[in-house]
This record gives sequence, structure tokens and C-alpha cells, in this order.
Amino acid sequence: MGLEDKLPEGIITTQLETLVNWSRENSTWPLLFGLACCAIEMIATGSARHDISRYGSELFRASPRQADLMIVSGRVSNKMAPVIKRLYDQMSEPKWVIAMGICASAGGPFNNYAIVQGVDKIIPVDVYVPGCPPRPEALLYALDMLRKKQGTDSFRTYANLNAPPPPAVPEDIPALETLRRPQLA
Amino acid sequence: MLNVSPRQRPYETLPGLNPLGIPAVAPLPTGESADTQRLAERFGADILAAGLHHGQQVVYVKPSQLVALAEFAKNDPQLQYEALVDVSAVDQAELPIAGDASRFQTVYQLRSYARKQHLMVVCPADESGGADAPVAPSLAGVHKGAIWPEREVWDLMGVRFAGHPDHRRILMPDHWPNHPLQKQVPVGGEEVPFTLTWSDPEFESFGKQVMAAESKPPVLPPGMNRENMIINMGPHHPSTHGVLRLVVELDGETVVNVDPDLGYLHSGFEKTGEDKRYKDFVYYTDRMDYLSAMSNNMSYCLAVEKLMGVEIPPRAQVLRVMMAELQRLASHLFWLSTHVLDVSGTGMALLMYATRERERILDLFEMACGARLTVGYMRVGGVSRDIPPAFLGHLEDFLKAMATRIDDYEAMLTHGPLWGERLIGIGKLTRDEVINMGLTGPMLRGSGVDWDLRRDMPYSGYENYDFKVPVFTEGDCFARYLVRMEEMRQSLRIIRQTIDNLPPGPYRAEDRKVTPPPRAELDVSMEALIHHFKLMTEGFQAPPGMVYHGIESSKGELGIFVYSDGSAKPYRLHVRGPSFNNLYAISKMSRGAMLSDIVTNIGSIDIVLGEVDR
Repeated sequence: MGLEDKLPEGIITTQLETLVNWSRENSTWPLLFGLACCAIEMIATGSARHDISRYGSELFRASPRQADLMIVSGRVSNKMAPVIKRLYDQMSEPKWVIAMGICASAGGPFNNYAIVQGVDKIIPVDVYVPGCPPRPEALLYALDMLRKKQGTDSFRTYANLNAPPPPAVPEDIPALETLRRPQLA
Repeated sequence: MLNVSPRQRPYETLPGLNPLGIPAVAPLPTGESADTQRLAERFGADILAAGLHHGQQVVYVKPSQLVALAEFAKNDPQLQYEALVDVSAVDQAELPIAGDASRFQTVYQLRSYARKQHLMVVCPADESGGADAPVAPSLAGVHKGAIWPEREVWDLMGVRFAGHPDHRRILMPDHWPNHPLQKQVPVGGEEVPFTLTWSDPEFESFGKQVMAAESKPPVLPPGMNRENMIINMGPHHPSTHGVLRLVVELDGETVVNVDPDLGYLHSGFEKTGEDKRYKDFVYYTDRMDYLSAMSNNMSYCLAVEKLMGVEIPPRAQVLRVMMAELQRLASHLFWLSTHVLDVSGTGMALLMYATRERERILDLFEMACGARLTVGYMRVGGVSRDIPPAFLGHLEDFLKAMATRIDDYEAMLTHGPLWGERLIGIGKLTRDEVINMGLTGPMLRGSGVDWDLRRDMPYSGYENYDFKVPVFTEGDCFARYLVRMEEMRQSLRIIRQTIDNLPPGPYRAEDRKVTPPPRAELDVSMEALIHHFKLMTEGFQAPPGMVYHGIESSKGELGIFVYSDGSAKPYRLHVRGPSFNNLYAISKMSRGAMLSDIVTNIGSIDIVLGEVDR
């Protein structure tokens, strides 16, 4: 039945979205970035006993340009908040965020002047992990949850809806000078 | 702008809940010691009060003579208070002080390593310019170690220091509107929406605690030259062990100047502490130096116990020592793994080995108290529960396995050419420098100062244990590495002795005002029920006074300063984090070195940003 019968052995058919999602869920690279106590448990997750590389996430990237996942591991202070926002903006799409621990989720025990009451005030969060700090197993479970979410993503989610339409005819392309002028002004 | 809404707690101000006489000022010291007598003779009427308070030597001095007193105490052969350990300040706005007394007072902790003495100096601030513009003389000319703590006091408390060489904010952002530790500044935070629904108009105010982001032109730290290259390391950098930001001035690859920018993890511990009951703050201390939570617990509990005068049963003391030494081992293992990872690049193997052993220690903690990292094991009056029967067997197994492991690490590192190349001669500090900068812990012992609070000012029965204090005189990163490796061995020795000498008996004090009664007693005794209820709802009240207690944490001297006004909450709680004071040395260590040596130096100082920023 179907196309697969006609194909030689070793070839399967699938949807492009499914293939892309499959590769994304199995190699989500987190940003090498720790804030507080939860960062220590994040490191413990990366070390031998808990072995985050079973999830393809052992490659903690120091550059946000190369990272897919931001694990906000700890309390976010008012001074740090703009930095986190910028790091998030620097990550390329598609990108995901795990708020690890109660501080990153909702401020936790630090309901005071210094701490932002949840990192979701500044960036969108995909998975919240309770705990103070969450055990490594909890972070691995959060990665499982994230994989589930990644598996149902469609390309439409990441389509840049605000992008200007491409110019129709070559004559419409503005000269380089006109593009530069608004930036200089 | 920032929303610092005060949180209303009407139930805490009900009349009759607090006994009369609260708040009260800390009583003046009584009696005298040889040191306070000598200072009183020398300064005469400029000493406002001198004597002993909770067994500590305390001197109250007029601000005009503070610098002279610090200089005299440092240079006088009979006193030799050569190091300034800590600076803090108390805002007495809510205390019943006399009308002409000043609102702020600064508190200094002086230490004599030669004579093993501690001296607390209290100095009312000069408020001739108005009660909202307090000024204190700066001790930066006498002790370099005063520079950062004084900046911290200015930042958080708003006391200006006359003659300070670098008078900037240190933790809060530059444009922060207030000095958060002042009493009229609310704790801040947001109302917890237990009953709100999405349609409530109050919901709109949530999420406004983030300051409006404004783009500010970068400010060049003082002393830096724009001709050279200025680069930023951090706050997001793999080798800064957290969210430390260093502004580095480079000439080629040579470091000309380093200016650390702190506060990216400032969590307001001290302000939060003033809002919590004594018994509730233990859990917060876990989250300061999250690599040595047990030591933090211990330091806080010892300070409060000193204030309360509670006696701890011997079993609790031995359990505390056992846990604190296990924690030191875990902290040093983590330091070693990250340091090797930063420095040698091929250190992933050691990270895996050291975390393997550390996980076993965390398992032991989990057996004892149910948590791995933020343990909250110790309580004022003892520990939270006894160790389970299987604990000692597992601990024995761990000690057996660990005995050879430290040698394995050393075999990989100490005599290897790469490790020596990166560490020997890097970040040199002389003996005088470390003392003058107020550094503690392995920083001190790596530069030839034979000082360990466990041996020289013993607490929790450390005088009963047989251990050596490793001291190296080279003062470079390699010496500090050797100090920590030897400390791990000594910790193993101490743990062995705690197993052998663990006495039977209660694991917490029997004082029902401080520790809750056992569960079984609640069923049969009305009195126990009342004690339990009072303790859980109101906490316990500490007598008015002020205490400082320092312990030897894995990173250095971890001190807690508590000012009590007689109520169930500390009136002022200050933490002297060893990482904060030790980090001051980074610019001295890195100047003239290569850029890559900064990474070595950060690892060698062994900072935890939770404790630096608090």
C-alpha cells in the first residue's frame, strides 16, 4: 500500500515538519548561563550521574546565537533583567525558555525590592519547573515536557508575520542610500 | 518607574501582641578588658562607651576620632588589630534613641591575627548636615579592606564616607531611587494574589516591578584610559562563575585595570531578614552561598544563639561539625572542578570525577534532611532532626572511597606541566596585602597567614578535633590550590573524628522557648501545645543587643551581624560574605597579567555570586 511499498528498503516518508521537529527535540542546545542556586543543579544535571546528553542537550553554548533553549536558573534581579532580555533577543528563532525553580517562575521567597517576580514578566516562558531548587530529575522532566511541545510545533509558529513583503519587481528595490538614510537620521 | 509598594500586614501591629519595651536599643557594653581599657586610656572622652557585650569587646567612639582609633589599634604593639573584617551600619530610625543621638551608626569589626582578638567598633554618624545626610569618616586610608564594604554601606544604607577614594554604588544600579536598607524604604515586592481573578483591576499593577529599561551610555570606571581597549567580561560569561561583570582595560593582551561590577544577583537578603522571624531566616541563608548551605546555616544559628545565650547539646554540635565539614568538602570539590574546567580547557574529566564524589555528599545530605542543595538542616538551638540509622554506614563508605580520590586529583594536576604553567606565579599577593585588604580563608593561608577561625577562635567544639591548618607562603594561585587540596584531607580527618566521637543524646536544645517540643509531647501536655503554638505563630524574641559571629566557611570568614531590638525579628541583619571581601583582590591580582589569567584568578578566589551580591 502506498508510496513506501514502491520505494527500496531504508527509505521512509514523512512530513518535513515532523522531521524538523524530531531533530529539534533531540538536539536542543541550552545557553551556558547560570544565575543562582538552580544553576548548580543545572550543572549537576549536566554531569555524569544525571547525564543531560541523553537528551541531546549536553552542548551548553556560551553564545546566545548558537543556543535554542534558555534555562533561567535562579532569581532574576532588577539589574540582571535587561541582560536576560537582551540575551533572549540575541538567540535565534526558534527558541524556548525553561523557568527553573520558583524564583524564576514567580519570585519565590524573595518578594522584595530587588527581585523580579518571575522571569515571565520580561520573556515568554515555555516550561515552569517548581522546586527550590528543582532536582536534576525535575529539570530532565521539564526537558521531556519541552520535547512534547516541540513535537507539535508547526512552521507557521515561527513565520515572521511582521516581515515586509518582498519587492515585486527589480525596479522597486530602493537604492542602498535610501535604505541607509533612515538609520542615519 | 519602579513599583515598591509597601506590604500591609495589619495583624503584626495589633496592640498587645508585642510586650512593652519593644523596640529597645542595644544596651551599652559593661565591664572591661585589657584592650578596651587601653583604648579608653588613649582616647579619653572620645570613647563614648567601652567594655564587653555578649562576650565581645565593643568600643563606641566619636566619629572625629574613628580614623585615629583604627590607626592606633593597628599600630599599637599591645593591640595589633591589623585587619578590618567587616563594615556595616544600623539605621536607628525605629528605635527609641535620645533626641540628639544620631540616626545612623556604623559598625566595624577589627581582627588581630597575632593576638587572636576581635574588636567591635561602633561609631555614630555625623549628621550635622541633616538626619538624611549622614557622614562617617572613611577607613580606606588605614585598611584597604574598607573600600568595598564602605561602598556597600553607602549603596544600601546611604551613609556617605568622607575621604573615600571610590565613592560609587556597588550593588544597586546607578539610577536606583533609594538606599534600600533605610527603615523608611519598604521591603517592596508584590502583593501575593491569593484571591485575585483575572478580571480584577488590581491585576494590572502586577509585573511593574521591573525598572523601565533606558539605554544609558556606558560609563568608564574611574582610573581607566580610553586610549586602551576596554572590554566587558560578563555578566554572561562562562568563566565568571555566575553573573559577575568585569570591565577590563587591556593594553594588547596585558591587563592594565580591572573594575568589577557587582549586584547582578542582589536579592535583598538583609532587608528580607529584617522582615522575617529569627527562626524563619535559616532557610534564606541556604541561598546565599548555595555551595555551602550548611556553613551558612551554622553561622546564622551561632550568631542568634550567641544573642539568646542558648546552650547546644553535644550531639547537635558534633552533627553540625560533621555536616559543615562535609559541606566544605563538597564546596571545594565544586571549586576544583570548575577551576580546572576554566583553566585547562581539558578539565571536563575532572568535572565529572569531582561531581561524582560531590553527588555522594549530596546523597548524604538528602538522607539527613531531605534536600540536596538548600538544606536548611540547622536550627537555632540544634539541628532539625537526628541523622537516620543508616547514615553513618553510608558516610563510612564515602570516607573509604574518598580517601584515595584526592590523591587521584593531585596526580592529574599538581605535577602536571599544564596546571603549573597556568597557576604558578599568577595572582601573587603578599602577606601584608592580604591582611590589609581584609581577605580571609584560603586567600589568607595561601599568603602565609596562619589563621583559621576553627582553630583560633573555636566554635561548636572545634577545639576538640585534631586537624592541621595548611599554610603556604607563595601567595599565588598554586599556593591557594594546595591549601584547598590539603583542607579537603583535613576535613576528611575531622569527619572521621566526628563519627568516632558522636555522643548520644538530644539533637536540639531542650529550651521550649526556642525549639519546638517533640511531637509525642503535644498529645499529652497542654503546656507543650502552647509552646508549640507560640513558637510557630510568633517565633521567639531575642533580648536587645548586637552580636557578630564569624565562622570559617569554605571560602573564608562568614560573619553574621545581628542587631536585636527585643522583638521576634532582627532589627538589622548583616552578612559578611567571604566572597565579597575576597573578590576585592581581583584587580590587584590581575593587573599586569594576561587576560587569560583573570579567569585563573576568579577561580582561585572561589567566589559564589549569591554571597557576593546577597
